[in-house]
Amino acid sequence: MFRHNIILAFRNFKRNKTSFLINLIGLSTGLTCAILIYLWVSDEINVDKFHDNNDRLYQVLQNRQFPQKIATWEITPTLLVNAIKEDLPEVEAATNISSREENPRGAFSFGEKNIIAEGIYAGENFFEVFTFPIKESENQSFLKDKNSIAISESFAQKLFSTTKNVIGKTIEWTRGQNKKSFRIAAIFETPPSNSTLQFDFVWNMQLLIDADEYAGKWNGDYAKTFLVLKPDANFEKFNNRFASFMNTKTDKRKKSQLFIQQFSDKYLNGKYENGKITGGRISYVWLFSIIAIFILLIACINFMNLSTAQASTKMKEIGVKKTIGADRQSLVQQFLGESILMSFLSLSVALLLVLAFLPTFNDITNKVLKFNWSFNFVITLFLITLFTGLVSGSYSAFYLSKFKPFQVLNGKQVMSFGDQWIRKGLVVFQFGLSIIFIVGVLVVQQQMEFIQTKNLGYQRDNVLNFKRPNTNKSETFLIEVKNITGVMNAGRMWGNLLSGRGTQSGYSWRGQEDDKKYSFKSPIIGYDVIETMDMKVLVGRTPSREHQEDFNKILINESARKMMQLENPVGMNIGYSDTLREIIGVVNDFNYGSMHHKIEPLIFRVTTRGNNILVKIKAGEEQTAISKLEEVFQKFHPSFPFEYSFVDDDYQALYEAESRVATLSKYFSGLAIVISCLGLFGLAMFTSERRKKEIGIRKVLGSSVFEIVKMLTSDFTKTVFAAILISLPISFFIAKKWLENFAYNITLTWWLFFVPAILVLIIAWLTIGLQTIKAARVNPVQSLKDE
Amino acid sequence: MIQLRNLERYYKSGFQKSWVLKGINLDVKQGEFITIMGDSGAGKSTLLQIIGMLDAANKGEYNFFDEEVHRFNEKKRTELYKHYIGFVFQAYHLIDDLTVYENIETPLIYRGIKSKERKPMVAELLDRFNIVAKKDLFPDQLSGGQQQLVGLARAIIGKPKLLLADEPTGNLHTKQGEEIMQLFKELHNEGMTIIQVTHSEKNAQYGDRIVHLEDGYVREDKNVNELLERN
Ligand SMILES: Nc1ncnc2c1ncn2[C@@H]1O[C@H](COP(=O)(O)OP(=O)(O)O)[C@@H](O)[C@H]1O
Ligand SMILES: [Mg+2]
Repeated sequence: MFRHNIILAFRNFKRNKTSFLINLIGLSTGLTCAILIYLWVSDEINVDKFHDNNDRLYQVLQNRQFPQKIATWEITPTLLVNAIKEDLPEVEAATNISSREENPRGAFSFGEKNIIAEGIYAGENFFEVFTFPIKESENQSFLKDKNSIAISESFAQKLFSTTKNVIGKTIEWTRGQNKKSFRIAAIFETPPSNSTLQFDFVWNMQLLIDADEYAGKWNGDYAKTFLVLKPDANFEKFNNRFASFMNTKTDKRKKSQLFIQQFSDKYLNGKYENGKITGGRISYVWLFSIIAIFILLIACINFMNLSTAQASTKMKEIGVKKTIGADRQSLVQQFLGESILMSFLSLSVALLLVLAFLPTFNDITNKVLKFNWSFNFVITLFLITLFTGLVSGSYSAFYLSKFKPFQVLNGKQVMSFGDQWIRKGLVVFQFGLSIIFIVGVLVVQQQMEFIQTKNLGYQRDNVLNFKRPNTNKSETFLIEVKNITGVMNAGRMWGNLLSGRGTQSGYSWRGQEDDKKYSFKSPIIGYDVIETMDMKVLVGRTPSREHQEDFNKILINESARKMMQLENPVGMNIGYSDTLREIIGVVNDFNYGSMHHKIEPLIFRVTTRGNNILVKIKAGEEQTAISKLEEVFQKFHPSFPFEYSFVDDDYQALYEAESRVATLSKYFSGLAIVISCLGLFGLAMFTSERRKKEIGIRKVLGSSVFEIVKMLTSDFTKTVFAAILISLPISFFIAKKWLENFAYNITLTWWLFFVPAILVLIIAWLTIGLQTIKAARVNPVQSLKDE
Repeated sequence: MIQLRNLERYYKSGFQKSWVLKGINLDVKQGEFITIMGDSGAGKSTLLQIIGMLDAANKGEYNFFDEEVHRFNEKKRTELYKHYIGFVFQAYHLIDDLTVYENIETPLIYRGIKSKERKPMVAELLDRFNIVAKKDLFPDQLSGGQQQLVGLARAIIGKPKLLLADEPTGNLHTKQGEEIMQLFKELHNEGMTIIQVTHSEKNAQYGDRIVHLEDGYVREDKNVNELLERN
């Protein structure tokens, strides 16, 4: 029976070459998309899951109450970890590492060789809590020693060109004027690419605490804290009790509540609103999984549609077989067998396509996905393909096989009204999805363009950004930079304008305790930053050298002025802890950080130093200016590489996730449309084939080619119109939802929906038109003779 | 073998019923070769399909080997098609994608007969019907007569007790038709029960009983010999 069915399937493919090709192209394209997306999704959902303790490994997060909102932070006091270990019996182990800002960086040298590296400060149990396998180590407790360092294999490879015999060697670290010798006490496997923790070396956490006055106090947040719960611990109960844990230790953190989240869950669910987890990257995982399923469905629908088109010949076969003893089950088997065979043939083509497109796909997604023929992967491939085959064959298998043989064999038209509806419904579904995809692409594209062109409140073009390793001779450095030809202006600050980092509260402008609850964004700028970035000053002045500014001078933005309800803020002194700070100016609102967030009240604190240098360069003179800049930099910092970026590029990087989505969705929706059109093409071909005789008769009766084309296309046109009507509201809803991710977004105008609708209509017409014109132009004598 | 009592078959169109068969009484004994005749539209095909259980009567009784047919479910019918009933169609109805050999073999596959046993059975029929040379050809490469030979071979390979043939020679030249009828006769002599529909008086002579349908009733039911004597 099996052999018999296979033979029938192959002969059927051979007889209907066009539909075979359409199905092969459609299904293999669909499967290619599905496999690529599967590779991406499985990579995403496995991030950070490789730790042995994964199931019980949690990160501590902090909810901080502000008058306007609750903010969620991953940074906590360094003291927290020991308190947890001592006081909470459910905790098996705990450790902490430095926050991103505090991470140690610098140059390491051994003999003549220099490298730049970034590491972490880590608590003692770091290598027990996390699974970063130690390749070799001096002793068990190497992290207790403040003079020892653990390095990654790639670090060793770069500095020593080997990973052998490096234990015990002493290397020199330099950063600015800071210097220190470390003895290599351990070497660990370089963190894998699916780890969110990336570091070249590990230092003892105590070094951080020693170096910074606040790092060892309850009111400083310097570390990320992690813990492993005991196997029998109850997560819910623990979390409830843990919320107020810090308040039992100190009375300085009354507004802070703690909670734990599974560490590996944080990568996908890393967005918090009002103290609650509200998703994150997981939405893209869902989005693309759904896209993959839809694209596969579109391809399956092609298969079904082409089966309905061949239903009359199929049904004869079914009728005959029933009279010679075939039961329904064997017919179902035959049809499903055929479609499953088809989808496995497509799989082999798809695998080749995936192989060919994987490098490009990796570029777009910024991943290093590859085939690994693991059991899971093979099983998933098998299941996806089986699913595709089953869905594709379901129509023939379950619908056609149920007809009574005499209905079929008597040559009666058994395609009922309902069948027509099914077929049209399938086409509506396909084209509806295509329209949704196109609207999606347009909206994403428009929003990205909006982001690119929106006036941020400052000029980011041709502004170069780089960091000095220290702030030595701050003023001389800036003067030399400004003297370079092509440099129009230059300023310095701590941090940069795109990070959106730094929040302060505790200001009091009406002398009321209540004021202190309000939080402000609080970047620190030096001289010339406002000028370099071309920000608009509404009243007052900018920090200037004549005034010998200091930390007690501030500027506020317009939002802050409104919130504080100040009419004439310039010259006002407002309180901060036990000092008074003078407002020297008000700047127009600008986007501090990305456009995912609304512009918030902001206070510019003023400094006379700052390690982050912003340089405005004259357009067209970038090349020479940059090489001059590098000379100046090298003069001040001989052992450091000059690493710079353009603010505009950094700005684009803020929307990396979105722009990847934009690119991917463009490709995938293109494919969806191509597959849909393939199906429509096939359907049109069969329809005109079936109506050949009718066309012949009409022509003999005097119909023109145009009238016949109109007759043949009007049916399809109605179907596509139905698809448009159904899909537009849906796409409107989806687009609106997505745009809510941005505090500043485009308005959805009519043409964003009109254009896709018309586009799909035109594509459908072209596809059908080709077929019908061909059919309509056939000499009627020929088609009538055939019968 | 077959008993039909007051069998009715009508079609509804709107509120009207139009009867094709109004009251058919017919008994068929095992081993008989019956020819059903009548004008076009008399309901011959309908009757044959009811006997073959492809269609069902609206009213009346139909017993097949003393069992009530209207109680049969699809599974039971499939069983009957496998072991008791063979069909030959006017339009041959071969499976286009299968060769002559495979077309004949198919019923055996559904009966679950092993490949090794199938071979000699098919080979025997190919030989008997003189179509060995055509065994690897597809239906559309054969003449009508050859196709009907294949159709007949397929119908009888399962050694059915009852062979139903609806105008088996209707699309054939006289000579091809005679060849088919000759085979029917042989099968009949071997003991197979055959019911055929035909318009041809000459073909009717091959059987031993002729049933004439008119206005939904059996108008005449005579032995061929009786009829011959009467003429
Ligand atoms: N599905 C049907 N619906 C309505 N009338 C039918 C249907 N099938 C057959 N008939 C009618 O039944 C009558 C008998 O048909 P049939 O048995 O094929 O006649 P015969 O084979 O004797 O020429 C015809 O008048 C035909 O129009
Ligand atoms: Mg008939």
